[in-house]
Amino acid sequence: MGDLRLAWLLTQGSDRREWWRVTLTAVGAALATGFGLAAVAIASVRGNVDFPYLNGLLDEPGVRSGVVVALLLLLVPVLGFLGQCARIGAVHRDRRLASLRLVGATAKQVRRIAALEAGLACLVGSAVAAVFSVLLLLPLWERPPLLLWGGFALVTSAVPVLAALVSVIALRRVVASPLGWVRRVRPERGGSAVLTLGVPALLVGLAVVLVLVWGVQASAGAFPLAVLGAVVLTAAGSVAVAGATARITGRRLAARTENPAVLIAAERLRTDPWAAARTHAAVLLVAIVGVSFLGVRQMLLDDLNGPGYSRSPEDMAFYTTGINLAGAAVLVALAITLSGLAVGAAESLATRRRGLAAQAAAGVPRAVLGRALLLETALPLAPAMLLAGIGGTAVYVAYGLVVEVSLPLLLPLLFPAAVYVSCLLAAATSLPLLRRAVRPSELRYT
Amino acid sequence: MSSPPMGSTQQTVPILAARGLAKTHGRTRALRDASVELRAGEILAVTGASGSGKSTLLHCLAGIVRPDEGSVVYAEQRLDQLPEERLSELRRTEFGVVFQFGQLIPELTALDNVALPMLLAGTARKDAHERAGEWLERFGVRGQETLRPGEMSGGQSQRVSLARALVTGPKVVFADEPTGALDSLASEQVMTALVHTAREAGTAVLLITHDAQVAAYADREVWLRDGVVSQDAADLEVAQ
Amino acid sequence: MSTRHILLGLLAGGPSHGYDLKRRHDERFPQARPLAYGQVYTTLQRLVRDGLAEVDGTDSDGGPERTRYRSTDKGAKELAAWTGEITAPAPFVTNEIFAKVVCAILASTDAAGYLSAQRAAHMARMRELTALKTAPDADLATVLSADYALNHLDADLRWMTTTAARLTTLTAEVDAA
Repeated sequence: MGDLRLAWLLTQGSDRREWWRVTLTAVGAALATGFGLAAVAIASVRGNVDFPYLNGLLDEPGVRSGVVVALLLLLVPVLGFLGQCARIGAVHRDRRLASLRLVGATAKQVRRIAALEAGLACLVGSAVAAVFSVLLLLPLWERPPLLLWGGFALVTSAVPVLAALVSVIALRRVVASPLGWVRRVRPERGGSAVLTLGVPALLVGLAVVLVLVWGVQASAGAFPLAVLGAVVLTAAGSVAVAGATARITGRRLAARTENPAVLIAAERLRTDPWAAARTHAAVLLVAIVGVSFLGVRQMLLDDLNGPGYSRSPEDMAFYTTGINLAGAAVLVALAITLSGLAVGAAESLATRRRGLAAQAAAGVPRAVLGRALLLETALPLAPAMLLAGIGGTAVYVAYGLVVEVSLPLLLPLLFPAAVYVSCLLAAATSLPLLRRAVRPSELRYT
Repeated sequence: MSSPPMGSTQQTVPILAARGLAKTHGRTRALRDASVELRAGEILAVTGASGSGKSTLLHCLAGIVRPDEGSVVYAEQRLDQLPEERLSELRRTEFGVVFQFGQLIPELTALDNVALPMLLAGTARKDAHERAGEWLERFGVRGQETLRPGEMSGGQSQRVSLARALVTGPKVVFADEPTGALDSLASEQVMTALVHTAREAGTAVLLITHDAQVAAYADREVWLRDGVVSQDAADLEVAQ
Repeated sequence: MSTRHILLGLLAGGPSHGYDLKRRHDERFPQARPLAYGQVYTTLQRLVRDGLAEVDGTDSDGGPERTRYRSTDKGAKELAAWTGEITAPAPFVTNEIFAKVVCAILASTDAAGYLSAQRAAHMARMRELTALKTAPDADLATVLSADYALNHLDADLRWMTTTAARLTTLTAEVDAA
């Protein structure tokens, strides 16, 4: 209880940025819980039912499992968003926890306080999401099975518990050395690389084994495993690609450019390409999924409207609803990802505000600083987005070759450009913050 | 005084003059009716206890903040009335600033940091690098061109900051506790470098410090107490 | 400070005569009070009397005869003992400024005015010393001796600043006693 009170005191006494972190983390947790609960609700429906909404899309078990997978996939951008939120005021928080260690708190206590801080924020978010989900569900489903309530309780409590665990793991370096914040040891990439590649590879392998041993019956279990593995692999690939492009772009441009804004942005990328990579990986994933979805959607619609079939209006409505729902999922994922990007840009700016204020005081025009900020997003994202476009196109072209229809080009290829522009807009939302960041009051040494 | 001779006409012409400055931050009154003159080519120290309004005075004089009341005149222009874009340009071309820290961009090399003001003015990078290299040599940080501020000692990075402040040939350099984070030897090297270069180039320096040993590098000292400037007693005697 | 020991130190560099010792002293310790020739002479006599130095011979390069002195073994030991012995860190506080402030309060004259004038004088001297040490041709001995003085003046200044800030309390205390 003492730790809980301390955690509460620390949160109360903290500055505005800590509150931003708590609020946004709660929002992220609410989203995660919401998607999780929706997945549980749909998954707990048994057999063929007659559901009056969404043109009967949820009537069949096969389609329902697809919707469940889509909902679970939406957790990926939410996790990315939560990752960005955790970075808000991170330097300050780590320092505070390290100073707790210095005044004599044990490593265990500090870990518990950190876990409580993160867990409580997430608990608020998931509780709110759970309440609204139940209120929404009750009028739709008169006598839900007991299993559903169990699933609800599990998801609602799992989100804060997981958040607490993740924050403890993220803090292990600070906890291990109270002075860690003075001289932060760069984590070795080898171990995490093995983890990020090994675990999903294992999942995919497991899925293959399942199918091989039990045959098609196992596909219900194998399919989500394979999808999950593939998604994580693609995500790891995107981080690697985004990081590598950021570093190469940074190094190349820094050596050549004549433009001060480009120089500043490029040197920042060269110094810490992984910061950009983390932010952009989710964007790339969404872009790949989006491009392939748009391609496949176009081909499906062409096929459905084509002369070969004659379908009842109900059937058409069924299919288009499905497609639109998937499209909505992609858009939701994009929106969450862009919010994460905006949060990341704002945080990066807030962390550097004293340096930026000093630059402005030294006469570096605010426009140059603003351009550098945008270029930090724009420069590495351009080649990465090109790759994502190519990747997504490859997916739907493969599909198109299998079903043998004419390949759409315009819309899927416009998508990466649209995502690129919206990323720039998301990054630009932090520009008003720049105006505040360069205020001379930031120059005070206190 | 055995400082290098300066023309007596130079000493009497104020290059920067502030009259009746007042500035309030929230509920704290940083300046009230502060007046100060900086003569061309002179090194003026502003001393005072912490919280006496020294930094605010520098910010007003350098056109970084606008005073609530009073006027700041530089080269027949009212700085307190100029638009922000013009002030920014002035700070980058005719003024130089050195702070305790933060004026170097951590991601840029020493060379690029010093070249930055020239790049902003549209100088080609190659020429800017050449000039920046000369200035680094002048401040005794040759061989550190490719280092980034985090890889240098405090004294080295402050000398790089000086090079950045002086590379455009400013008329006035504003230094706010430039040695605040340095030990006494590094502090001596930084101050010697600043004073020598400023005298050579005829640059006026407004030096904010709470350290009497740093203030002693100046030609003249004014004292800030509770937001009001008092003249050096010795200086008043000279004036009478 | 002991002139005896400083002369012994200078003699440790080799035999030398009085005038030369004075010149070398003033050169080696810039900004110190210059040695008077008479003082050098009497001190040398005493060193000889105590067996710490002895006459080495006489020089006369065309001019008047000059006695050359050298250090004895006993002198070398004495010098070694002196350089190894710590200097008592301010055994008595002799602070003329403080004495003046207290007297000014007792006599009800302007103590604050005195402090601020003293402060200005200290600053002026500090500027002078700083100019001396930053001159392009300043050697290290000049820089170091100026630094020594600067640090002491700085300590005085700090003391004056805190005293000026607490003058009202001091006045009450002095007047009450």
